[in-house]
Amino acid sequence: MSRMELYSPEGLRIDGRRWNELRRFESRINTHPNSCDGSSYVEQGNTKVICMVQGPMEPSSRSQADSAGATIEVNLSVASFSTFERKKRSKSEKRMVEMKATLERTFQQSVMCHLYPRTLISIDIHVLAQDGGLLASMANAVTLALIDAGVAMYDYVSCISVGLHDQTPLLDLNGLEEQDISTLTIGVIGKTEKLALLMLEDKMPLDHLESTLGIAIAATHRIRDLMDDEVRKHGNLRSSKLAKN
Amino acid sequence: MISQRKRLSSGLSVTSKVFVRSRNGKALKIVREHYLRNDIPCYSEACNKCHEIIKPDANGELPKFILSKDPNKLKDGSKHYIILDTNIILHTIDLLENIQCFYDVIIPQTVLEEVKNRSIPIYQRLRGLVKSEDKRFVVFHNEFNESTYINRLKNESINDRNDRAIRKVASWYNTHLNDNNNSHENIKIILLCNDKDNRLKANSEGINALSLLEYIDLLPNGEDLRDLIPADSNTFNDFNKDNETSFPEYYSDARIMAGIKNGTLYQGILNISQYNFLQGTVQVPAFKKPLLIIGSKNLNRAFNSDSVIVELLPKDKWREPSYTIIEETSLGADDNAEDADSIGDDDISGTNGVVSDKERLLLAQEAINATNAQSEERRLQPTAKIVGITRRSWRYYVGQIAPTSVIGEDSGNSSKSCFVILMDKLLPKIRIRTRKSKEYLGQRIVISVDSWPSNSRYPNGHFVRSLGEIESAEAETEALLLEHDVEYRPFAKNVLDCLPIEGDNWVVPDLKQTDDPQLKKRIDLRDKLVCSIDPPNCVDIDDALHAKRLSNGNYEVGVHIADVTHFVKPNTALDQEGASRGTSVYLVDKRIDMLPMLLGTNLCSLKPYVDRFAFSVIWELDEDANIINVNFMKSVIKSREAFSYERAQLRIDDKSQTDELTDSMRVLLKLSKKLKQQRLDAGALNLASPEVKVHMDSETSDPNEVEIKKLLETNSLVEEFMLLANISVARKIYDAYPQTAMLRRHAPPPATNFELLNEMLNARKPGMSISLESSKALADSLDRCEDPNDSYFNTLLRIMSTRCMMAAEYFPSGSFGYPEFKHYGLAVDIYTHFTSPIRRYCDVVAHRQLAGAIGYENLDLSHRDKNKMELIVKNINRRHRNAQFAGRASIEYYVGQVMRNNESVHEGYVIKCFNNGIVVLVPKFGIEGLIKLELLGDVNTADYNEDKFELKFTDLNGNKRIVGVFDKVLVDVKSVKDEISGKRKAQLLLK
Repeated sequence: MSRMELYSPEGLRIDGRRWNELRRFESRINTHPNSCDGSSYVEQGNTKVICMVQGPMEPSSRSQADSAGATIEVNLSVASFSTFERKKRSKSEKRMVEMKATLERTFQQSVMCHLYPRTLISIDIHVLAQDGGLLASMANAVTLALIDAGVAMYDYVSCISVGLHDQTPLLDLNGLEEQDISTLTIGVIGKTEKLALLMLEDKMPLDHLESTLGIAIAATHRIRDLMDDEVRKHGNLRSSKLAKN
Repeated sequence: MISQRKRLSSGLSVTSKVFVRSRNGKALKIVREHYLRNDIPCYSEACNKCHEIIKPDANGELPKFILSKDPNKLKDGSKHYIILDTNIILHTIDLLENIQCFYDVIIPQTVLEEVKNRSIPIYQRLRGLVKSEDKRFVVFHNEFNESTYINRLKNESINDRNDRAIRKVASWYNTHLNDNNNSHENIKIILLCNDKDNRLKANSEGINALSLLEYIDLLPNGEDLRDLIPADSNTFNDFNKDNETSFPEYYSDARIMAGIKNGTLYQGILNISQYNFLQGTVQVPAFKKPLLIIGSKNLNRAFNSDSVIVELLPKDKWREPSYTIIEETSLGADDNAEDADSIGDDDISGTNGVVSDKERLLLAQEAINATNAQSEERRLQPTAKIVGITRRSWRYYVGQIAPTSVIGEDSGNSSKSCFVILMDKLLPKIRIRTRKSKEYLGQRIVISVDSWPSNSRYPNGHFVRSLGEIESAEAETEALLLEHDVEYRPFAKNVLDCLPIEGDNWVVPDLKQTDDPQLKKRIDLRDKLVCSIDPPNCVDIDDALHAKRLSNGNYEVGVHIADVTHFVKPNTALDQEGASRGTSVYLVDKRIDMLPMLLGTNLCSLKPYVDRFAFSVIWELDEDANIINVNFMKSVIKSREAFSYERAQLRIDDKSQTDELTDSMRVLLKLSKKLKQQRLDAGALNLASPEVKVHMDSETSDPNEVEIKKLLETNSLVEEFMLLANISVARKIYDAYPQTAMLRRHAPPPATNFELLNEMLNARKPGMSISLESSKALADSLDRCEDPNDSYFNTLLRIMSTRCMMAAEYFPSGSFGYPEFKHYGLAVDIYTHFTSPIRRYCDVVAHRQLAGAIGYENLDLSHRDKNKMELIVKNINRRHRNAQFAGRASIEYYVGQVMRNNESVHEGYVIKCFNNGIVVLVPKFGIEGLIKLELLGDVNTADYNEDKFELKFTDLNGNKRIVGVFDKVLVDVKSVKDEISGKRKAQLLLK
């Protein structure tokens, strides 16, 4: 793997992007209108994620009911064909459990849970393809699905991964890059600089953290705009249908 | 594989690369995104469009346009840029680095990646060329450029697709530069390619495609360059394919991989025996003893220090190591370079064989010896043959053309094959083709090895350049620098640019009136009575000392080291140059600096009477030199005096001197003696090396005297405190950076290293032996080995033990467990190098880590990353070793020159015995030489007793003589020039 040059002296990455360029970002909402309350589909490069939201609804067991606010439950399933090599993954895998917990905690704070006491919001995430930045894509998909379900949120949670190669921060790492350099994933609320999610599995030197975070935050704002476009487009479509009826 | 492009935004579109890869025998479809862009410039100054599209990098810097507006011209006067194809780069990287040709070169990304896949070293050299900018090489990322990216067509092989991509680059440059830039004279784009098909296709597409030969011919200085074109399979005529004497083919990669996995093949580094070039050993972890590889067929074209794959031979072929001396020069010296590869000759069948008759004869003798000594079962060593080479150690070699291989009458201008005999006698002759063989006769030349086909007895190479007359001091010095891979070229401009602009006028800024927060952290130690003690005429003073008696009866002792890292900041060109040089190299008449002169001899040198930045270690020591307390600080000091060892000694001994400075030196001396005693009590070794010093005549700078190095008390004064500083610093940085601290260790020698020496002692000096339980035991046993009749014997034994030791090495602390940090020779648990940052890179790293540990500045990432530290360490270990070898070779050369003028008789000691010769060490000159039996007496009367390490023979006067290991002998020392290798060496003759 050391044979790969992740960032050439000419300033190009292995897939031809520059240091501060996002991958292709595409999203759809309301992809499964009949099977759930809110749904979305996100592609960030070759990472593809489907998200479906049920709720707010009555929890199946009493113990899940919280009189102060809604409980958010995330279910994660990664398709065995999502990587190049077929591999069966169990839900109890440590990494999966951690991602699930991270997402639950993030959205517990950004959804206005106090509006839905004693209810359960259940989020199902299906990963169809993985190519780096998995957590970020999942968080973005969840945001869109929650919006589609009409759950009240403070603002968009937009998420991106960023890595540090030598001195250069690299934005939105793909799978190859993620194998070699340490990756930081952040989620930002709306157009602020408030972090709702921060995940670093490796280590990153403190003296470069600031510049790295700076570029990542700028990128999340861009992602937010892209998601907002999609939501508005869908909204317009819906309202035009309503008008026809 | 049709993939669609999808436009994302202006200037960026995405497509996907789909390919199939096999992993563990399964096919795997891989899809990757591939972004195409329009902001990749052509990097030509002649272009007026690309300046508008370029984008800055993360540091806000814009790409530089490097290709000249006014490039070099061909013979016909046309300006041109060159585009290179992969095979050209792989074969002619030397030529690309040559300053006489190849300017303004475009390397398509496609080519760069192919080069990287084929050879990482060549890739790195190419990257070096691009980076240095003085030859105006650029990398053009055609695969990411919208207008030059191409899809692979159906049924098109990947090579054809890549060739097409390269042609696309050429035609793109052609139109890009010449159609729209009317303001300039047209610049010709030349595609250089050795593939005929590709050239044909290119020409039909209107691209100017040339082969290397055609191109060189078009250059104005083409005539001089022709010899530099490397040999490819076409240069040397093919041999008889079905010759019984061709080397065995190497195993396929798959077979090797499988073999290593299931344990039938082993990997290791080949070591050719010093005395027998047909015998090598490979140390393999699976076996205690190294595997023997005997004979050129088993060696199978491997060079010394190649990393090779070996296969064990059946047990009936196991042998004991040969006790015979075989030098290549004695074999096949008369081979004819032209004949050896021409098919037409009728009489070649005899000599052309890979195994020559002479060699067979020697092998036969060996076999007889081996079968005679049936009882010697225990000495049998497993033998093996080489079946593959994983990495060649090929580099530039220095040698000279074998006079016998040059054909008598000079028939015009056509090039002839001839042999080059390398200075390193462990390597075979190289066959090169040149038209100037006559001219190069008697000169030191540099050559490079290209290939060694299985049907050729000798490897093929090509001429690189000439260094000058053999035995001229310049040529010999340069040769030995090249041979030891020492970078000796002057520092490049971008390196010198990193120095302070004030140059020699730089002074320490005022500490009180400064805004620099780092400067404020410096401690002012200018009131301390600091002095330095170094060898006479030392210009790079990197350490100074002070001592003071404290009111509580303890002593304050300070070691002050030049603060090199104040000037050498991480990740600058200066730092990279220092890191790659790794160490300064000291030759008899020359010093090759690691850092530019300005730093080494002025700004960093702790010269007396001026303020200098230093990194200080200050201890509080008690009366018995135990450490009570230690402090590290960046400081400013002012040295009161720079002493030489002798002057310092005189001043200390002079009772009438009672000033403070002298007193403090006496304190230092007193403490240093205690430190030394502590060290020796702990088991530090006192080994010896036959090192000598060459005195130069001050006027003619001719060497005229050889002296054995002597040591004064003041030498060890400085040494003890440096050791103490190194140990204290090592503890501190290990504490702060447990994974990446730069340390130095010295492993205990494995018992097998001493086996032979102990066997010799047992046989020759009954009652003596060397014990190895601990360094203390070793030191004590060495002390006990005294021969009352011979005072030198003990020193001799120490010299021989030194050779059995492991080499000390640098390592990042994460690579070993704490117990293995031990420095065996010094008998300390942890050690590093901190005290000579001007001349060693390890010390530079240690300085930075210490500065980080005391919170002076943040430690650079590269010294906190284990992988990067591994790389640094690997390089400095190699450089350090090479520097030592180069220094020794330089002394050896000058000793040879001294002896040329005074032939004399000296005492020597036999240190090795073979069945056809002995090796004698002459302490006076620190040289050792081989005396072959032919020179001793009658070869046929020789009888070698392996048990007693004795050789019996009848000498030239008919007297019977017995010579054994450790015997003192009188030898006639004179210097002779070896006509074949052109190397002057000491010739010893038994009296």
